[in-house]
Amino acid sequence: MIGGALALAAGAALFAIAVGAVLPVRQRVVWVGLFTALCAGAGGVAAAAVLAGGNTFTADFPDLFPLGGVRIEFDALSAIFVLATAVVAVPAAIYGIGYSARGPSSRPAQVAWPLLVWGVMMVPAAGNVTGLIAFWELMALSSFVLVLAEHHHNPEARTAAQWYASMTHLSLLTIVLALAVLAHQAGGDSFTAIRAGTDHIGPTTATVVFLLSLVGFGAKAGVAPLHVWLPRAHPEAPSHVSALMSGAMVALGVYGLIRVGWDLLGGGPTWWGATVLAVGLVSAMFGILHALISSDLKRLLAYSTTENMGLVFIGVGAAGMFASSGNQPLASVALAASMLLVVNHAAFKGLLFLGAGSILSATGTRDLDRLGGLARRMPVTAATFAVGSLAIAALPPLNGFVSEWLLLQSLVHSLPSNAAVVAVAMPVAVAVVALTGGLAAATFVKAFGTTFLALPRTVEADQAHESPRTMQIGLIALAGVCVALALAPTALAAPLQRVSLAVGGLADGRPIHTNGVYLQLSGIEAGLSPLLLATGLAVMMVAVLVVVRRGRLRRTVRDIPAWGCGRTVQTARMEYTATSFAEPLQRVFDDVLHPEIDIDVDHRTESRHYVQAIRYRMHIRDGFEHRLYLPVLSVVRRWGDGARRVQNGSIHRYLAYSLITLIVVLVVSR
Amino acid sequence: MTTTRFVQLLDLAAGLVLVTSFAVLWLRRLVTVTWVIAVQGMALAAVALVIGVYEHETELALIALMVFALRGLVLPGLILRAVRAGDEHREVESLINVPAALLAASGLTLVAYATTRDVVALSSTPQVRALPLGIAVMLIGMLLIVTRRKAVLQIMGVLMVDNGIALVMFLGTSGVPLAVELGIASDVLLAMFILQVLTARIRTKFGGTDLDQLRELRD
Repeated sequence: MIGGALALAAGAALFAIAVGAVLPVRQRVVWVGLFTALCAGAGGVAAAAVLAGGNTFTADFPDLFPLGGVRIEFDALSAIFVLATAVVAVPAAIYGIGYSARGPSSRPAQVAWPLLVWGVMMVPAAGNVTGLIAFWELMALSSFVLVLAEHHHNPEARTAAQWYASMTHLSLLTIVLALAVLAHQAGGDSFTAIRAGTDHIGPTTATVVFLLSLVGFGAKAGVAPLHVWLPRAHPEAPSHVSALMSGAMVALGVYGLIRVGWDLLGGGPTWWGATVLAVGLVSAMFGILHALISSDLKRLLAYSTTENMGLVFIGVGAAGMFASSGNQPLASVALAASMLLVVNHAAFKGLLFLGAGSILSATGTRDLDRLGGLARRMPVTAATFAVGSLAIAALPPLNGFVSEWLLLQSLVHSLPSNAAVVAVAMPVAVAVVALTGGLAAATFVKAFGTTFLALPRTVEADQAHESPRTMQIGLIALAGVCVALALAPTALAAPLQRVSLAVGGLADGRPIHTNGVYLQLSGIEAGLSPLLLATGLAVMMVAVLVVVRRGRLRRTVRDIPAWGCGRTVQTARMEYTATSFAEPLQRVFDDVLHPEIDIDVDHRTESRHYVQAIRYRMHIRDGFEHRLYLPVLSVVRRWGDGARRVQNGSIHRYLAYSLITLIVVLVVSR
Repeated sequence: MTTTRFVQLLDLAAGLVLVTSFAVLWLRRLVTVTWVIAVQGMALAAVALVIGVYEHETELALIALMVFALRGLVLPGLILRAVRAGDEHREVESLINVPAALLAASGLTLVAYATTRDVVALSSTPQVRALPLGIAVMLIGMLLIVTRRKAVLQIMGVLMVDNGIALVMFLGTSGVPLAVELGIASDVLLAMFILQVLTARIRTKFGGTDLDQLRELRD
């Protein structure tokens, strides 16, 4: 059954690639979308079967490549990531039918899209080093093509693609190094052989492998300071691709880190977990701060991805710390929290990116300061975007709340602890997670409010229309997934237990007990019933509505114009913009963000007391990029200029090089 | 043929190959240079013939005949056609002046002698003693390619490098199998054709084959 589903996924992907390369543009978009959805759906079925049944599927293809075969090993840890991929990929593929018809319908883009979906699903399924690297590179290359898909209209996409390509290469380089060292020292290419051979690996080698894989997988996950590609590449890719990249592809960085660090290496000293935790804390704070002040909708979502991956890293790091200080039940809860967050993030971030795509294709802009009033013009997009915003702000009763609650529970209950580093790190982590939650709420109030409410700020926003049917189906499906995950996370309790059992170095307990309605954590006196919570909220809202309606019926209501302090019309120029909404918070974090602000005031010629125009320009530099990347880049550029002097285009000079080389070789080898 | 006569003839022919390569650097008119290249090919054929007669190898004599036809007649004929096709100045344009080129060529000859000292010390046959000449011709051919501006002279340079290689082959191995020489000959012929077609296309496209102007195609 599992093998059949995986074979179906591969077949569907191949077929989608073939039709993407052959068919004329109108049919191409439709068939590629349908078969990509089928591919993702089949993968999701396989993942669900593994998570429900608890058995592992393996298959060997020993002669696939000249130097090494590919092995498929599909366990619970693989399955939870494949499930997250399927959750976002199926709706994104259907959405892509409508979206591509007006956007990226070229052959390369339509061939790369099923390749990317299949690659993202097969990376966790790989069971040996060769397979992992092969699928990893398949995923990286196809997503690179897709980032470039719209470069004709959008020159920014080229810069974004350059950044993406360099960071992806850095990531691949370190991963290959780490896995090669690991496979060599453990004496085997397949994960089974490596697990068996970990006894031969010394602590120094293990540390080197762990740090290399932290850099490599961290770069893919987009955690600070390796996040620089993410706020560039995700906005430039077509929106359904951004949804998959942001929802599922970056999560594979987390997968790789857990697989190598705690499954293959079997865990390590406490500082491994502490390092991951620290990276997570920095990323979460950094990501949400930049999301808060960003006025480009997709850039905002991309920074929020850095924040969410930071939260996942906090969970994984905390799990690692608990596991090495001997508190296995708590480690299981922390791991379960991060896995649940991965699945939830796939659902709500996918939804938000698809929503941003609808806005982009309806208005032609992603600039929040040029939108507004879309709720009445695009009701389906508005409603689903609202669901996504509530979920990502971790407000009950939506799904983000459950995972954030789990994460906070695991962090809070670590105290009192006998390990000093745990006792210091956990209160800080709790504070950061809480602050992040608050800022996320502010960010998405801004994103939703300035986009959908108030008066439209431009003609384009005023003339927007709702997206085509296929795009609406994708949005509604993902919103449905968010609601389902919110109401019934109890269904994931048993699968999460299987995941924690699959990662031997981290956890062995049963993180969550459930009776179908109520979640009870193991080893902690804490419980939650999302279903009852949601029902309670709904009952209260209905009650409030009824009371208000009653009150209104009893009194007679007159409609009269309100006193407007002498103001007679309300125009869009009077509204809060995204920038002005975020301005107070930006002042609070002035010391961290260092914004560059220019204010130009033009006076009227008649009198200095009358202002004609005020121009306000604000630019916020990415601190990591400015201090860490630009110096490196300038050194590389100086090298490049040196090479230009050698390579100056004169044929005679090139010919002289070969003559001199010949003479030198003759003299030296004499 | 006595040994003394053989040594004299061999040195004369091989020396002629080197002297012609100096002459190519020295002369200014393209047509004359082409004739000199033809003479070089014939001298090369003479080297092969002398060795063939002295060692009673019919195969080598046959090869000599082929070298004469190809490098003495056909290839220079092709180059001559290329020279006549171009209505540019029929004069050599060089990046360095003639005395400097001759000085550089002398230096390269010294390098050739210095680097082959160990090989020459291995055996005392007259062929091996003349071996550095081949290396020198090869290096001078490359010097020609590097310093001349017109594409036609680059073609001649390639031919000269190949002549040098062929000279080393005849002197160093005392006769190669006919099949090998046939293969090399056809390679050279093919390279000449390709270069000539390329030159013609460069000329029709850009109105000249000055390599320095081709530099502007970059960027």
